[in-house]
Amino acid sequence: MAGAGGIRLSNVSKAFVARGKTIEALRDVSLTCEPGSFTALLGPSGCGKSTILRLALGLEHADGGRVEIGGQTSEKATASGLTGVAFQDSALLPWRNVEDNISLPLDILKRDRREYSAKIAELIQLVGLKGFEKSLPGELSGGMRQRVAIARSLVTEPGVLFLDEPFGALDQILRRQMNIELQRIWTETRCTALLVTHGIDEAVFLADRVAVMRSRPGRVASMIEIPFSRPRSPDLFSDPVFHKLCDGIAEVLHGG
Amino acid sequence: MRMTINRRRFMTLAAAGAALPAVSRFAYAADPLAMQAAWINDAEFTGYFTAFDNDYYKDEGLDLSYLSGGPDVIPESSIIAGKADLTLTTPDTTIKAIVEQGAKFKIIGTQYQKNPHGIISLASKPISNPKQLEGKTLAVPPVNVISVEVMLKINDVDRDKVNIVPYAYDPTPLIKGEIDASLDFTTNVPYTIKQAGGVDAHSFLLYDYGYTIFQDTVVVTEETLATRRKELVSWLRASRKGWDENLKDPNAYPPKFAETWFKGTGRTIDNEIFFNNAQKPLIENPGGVFAMSEDGIAKTLDALGQAGIKGTRDMFDTTLLQEV
Amino acid sequence: MAAEQVLPAPKPLNQAPWFAPVRNIVILLVLWEVAGRFHLVADGALPSLTAIVERFWADRADYPAHVWSTLVSSALGFAIGNIVAVAAGILFVLSPLAARLFRGFNVTIFAVPTIAIAPILALTMTGISPRVTLAAMGCYFVTMTATVVGLTQIDLRSADLVRAYGGGKWDVMRFVQLRSALPIILAGLQVAAPNAVLGAILAEFGGGGRWGLGIYLLGSLGRADPPRLWSIGLVATAIAGIAYFIFGLISARVTGASKAVTMTTSLPPAGARTGGQWPSLAVAFGSIAVPLVLWWAFIKLLGVPEMIGKTPWGVIEYLFFLPLSQQAQTRLLDAMGQTLPITIVGTFAGLAAAFALSVSSRLVPNFTRALMPVALFSQTMPLIATIPLFVLLLGRGWLVTLIITISVTFFPAFITLAQGMKMTPRAALDLPKAYGAGAWTELKLVGIPAALPYLFAAARLTVPRALLGVMIAEWLATGKGLGNLLNQSRGYLDYGMIWTVAAASVVLSVALYQIVVLVERRVLANMGMRGSE
Repeated sequence: MAGAGGIRLSNVSKAFVARGKTIEALRDVSLTCEPGSFTALLGPSGCGKSTILRLALGLEHADGGRVEIGGQTSEKATASGLTGVAFQDSALLPWRNVEDNISLPLDILKRDRREYSAKIAELIQLVGLKGFEKSLPGELSGGMRQRVAIARSLVTEPGVLFLDEPFGALDQILRRQMNIELQRIWTETRCTALLVTHGIDEAVFLADRVAVMRSRPGRVASMIEIPFSRPRSPDLFSDPVFHKLCDGIAEVLHGG
Repeated sequence: MRMTINRRRFMTLAAAGAALPAVSRFAYAADPLAMQAAWINDAEFTGYFTAFDNDYYKDEGLDLSYLSGGPDVIPESSIIAGKADLTLTTPDTTIKAIVEQGAKFKIIGTQYQKNPHGIISLASKPISNPKQLEGKTLAVPPVNVISVEVMLKINDVDRDKVNIVPYAYDPTPLIKGEIDASLDFTTNVPYTIKQAGGVDAHSFLLYDYGYTIFQDTVVVTEETLATRRKELVSWLRASRKGWDENLKDPNAYPPKFAETWFKGTGRTIDNEIFFNNAQKPLIENPGGVFAMSEDGIAKTLDALGQAGIKGTRDMFDTTLLQEV
Repeated sequence: MAAEQVLPAPKPLNQAPWFAPVRNIVILLVLWEVAGRFHLVADGALPSLTAIVERFWADRADYPAHVWSTLVSSALGFAIGNIVAVAAGILFVLSPLAARLFRGFNVTIFAVPTIAIAPILALTMTGISPRVTLAAMGCYFVTMTATVVGLTQIDLRSADLVRAYGGGKWDVMRFVQLRSALPIILAGLQVAAPNAVLGAILAEFGGGGRWGLGIYLLGSLGRADPPRLWSIGLVATAIAGIAYFIFGLISARVTGASKAVTMTTSLPPAGARTGGQWPSLAVAFGSIAVPLVLWWAFIKLLGVPEMIGKTPWGVIEYLFFLPLSQQAQTRLLDAMGQTLPITIVGTFAGLAAAFALSVSSRLVPNFTRALMPVALFSQTMPLIATIPLFVLLLGRGWLVTLIITISVTFFPAFITLAQGMKMTPRAALDLPKAYGAGAWTELKLVGIPAALPYLFAAARLTVPRALLGVMIAEWLATGKGLGNLLNQSRGYLDYGMIWTVAAASVVLSVALYQIVVLVERRVLANMGMRGSE
């Protein structure tokens, strides 16, 4: 593993021009994720939570402020293989089979795929796709494709993991299972994780802290510490304290 | 394609020739010379094919390259561009280019004494003179419109009363009656019409109605004339010999070229034999093939003059033929 | 974890998929035979199939040398043209500045009507180089455009993923763009293949020489022998058709494996068109200058004598500063006045035909599949061979021009549109289906709007070809306009006018093309879509 690095956004702002109109996606956002921590970004659609993630990955450039990953610029961090990412949409390449899609980050980072063959097999096992190694994405269901994307995000053994609503397209049961799996994987790797989601229970179950965002302009409205100890068991989902916490966050989210 | 002398080779040869005339004469057993024909291989050029196959050019010490022509090939362009040393042209375009664009051409001979271009119609609906074209539809290849316009003018026919449409090299519209007449070689198309349509053709030559010009005039640049006179004379001599031999019996040579010059042209040997017979009276001249009499030159100049193309006698050079 | 069920693609329930198209083709062939046998079309100018086959058999010894010559020229041109085209397409996608600088050049190469350039190539080049050049030019734009479309119409999230791992432009190109562009590039090659054959034959026809189907065609034209002309045309079609279907097969295989699973919804990055620190005006000027400089360089490098090879300045001088300029201007403007209106009408007509056909290809695939051979045939049958038939059927008025124009325009437009409709993501098409929509509703709601960028691409393909079609009709049937002026000028040895007409037809073509581009940008921007240009 590349060693967990922190994520630091200082006074970041970003605006977009679309069809002649300027939209202020982020205004003066500061956010610090300590190495090895798990942070969830929660907020309504269009509050800029995905933009934060795109800035951190160097896919967009901030109009103002600074973005650092593990003390480096986003570009350096991503190019060194420090980061891993899974998007809301699986974004699989339709012509690559499951194995080859999982290996894509290795190809981009010019790493030798053969050294990772055990890792790839392990990840396929982990996400429950054994027997589908040679299948093309067009032959998989939406949930299966998303699990490929998760496996792909972990293949480089990243120190910083970005997850952009990775389970958004999955059903509730599957989502729970994936949350539990993700927690297990994260506990093993102890990488710094930043999860963008609009599922409150998902955020509370997985994260150390939940940053609640508001839109127009996008900003962090409040930061909520999650007190549950780790490892967290699936029973937590039915714990009254868990529900109380979720309700509280929902209130903040809805402008309470 | 038999042989294409490309520009670079030509330039190299020209440069070598200029720098080391003595060496180059020794270096080449035969002198390379390129001729640009006006059309694809057909009986129009049998005289040259005869001279080739009977080694007349070789005997004259010439290494002749023969370039076939086509609709986009402007023969004069080939000699300007140095692709060929001599070419066969229609004198109207050549003289127009000399007069209007200052092109440095000289006409050193003519293959046809009488221009074979004529107005061809069906025998069932014959058109026998220019006047009868009025109110009719006449197909003319765009490149030859100039000739027809001159002929109409000479005969006081109102150009606007003749519906001139493009001729797409195919006699079918004439056979089917879509057009009333077409302009083409009278030495060739009547045969085709008989063959394909089973009907007889009727024709008259433009030449017989005042358009008294040569055809397939042998044209060179003044520069070639100055530097390669000896080869040109040799070419004229060998070509004349070829034509004489061929025209002795016009039925004799075309079949001999069936597997060589005429192979795969899409035309038939019978057609070429007809062509060869029909062109005989248009080529032969008491002064020998290619001869340009003062009378012939004057007639050509006169006809072109009526079209506003003011050529002069000095555009023709008959001295090479005298050497022959 | 519950294994999810993978649904197989639904299969049509009727007979074998090849049955209907084959049946339709057989019906078509029988109709043709009957029409030819009983002289039903144009008093027998359309020969029967058996007559064509008999003729072909009788002439069989003539073909090998001609076919070989045409194959060599067109294959050489196809290879050169497409290699340059793909390389250029990649360059243009990687470097927006290069794309903008070479825009004028690209449009020019594309817009040059082949019949205007063929005589110029015959004037300035030697040997088989005019044939190879014309074949290559027939491929360049189609493949270059297809490459650019393919490389830009990618799933933006896949590109994001590559960039998220620090991948640069070249990595995105390597891992995402090249492969995802492959179906569209192959579709481009599919259209380019007949173009190459046709280009080579056209150059053969005009350029002199001894072998090639074009030469054979020219020699045969004078014989008034329709079965011969049609058998030459069919041989040309067979060559092009084989190339077309080879690329079609490869394309089907590749597309089948890589059909996009979801639809990209991302807007293109704002301000992508402003590209770099270069002022727009300078780039626009450069874009106009590039083709002119290349034209000038072409003349100078080949060492074409001044009298026959006119530089851009030579044309300007001819049109404005010579004693006869006034007269030249009048002739040119008269000709353009005749050519322009019918070109515009022809563009719309050709596009409408292509659109109707591509919609029908979704609604009644079998009908379209049966039509395909006819469509392909109309592209590869050298027009010169069929013009007498067209003239006999339609006369020499505007109708013949219009029909010839439609016949040369609709095929590339159709291919582009059909490809666009085929590339519509599955999820988007599934949505209307989920609400019980029939094929037509599905097309109206998703298929056609999603294909809109392709409709504009098709329009851009159509405009210059329409001009070409009009000029061919003018040259061989009506005797009007630019097509006629060009050929008369050759008879007058009027080199200035030859180059002027070629330049004027390109300028006309580029202007019409530019109008389409402006409309396209406006419409697609309003719809939040991205053009392929």
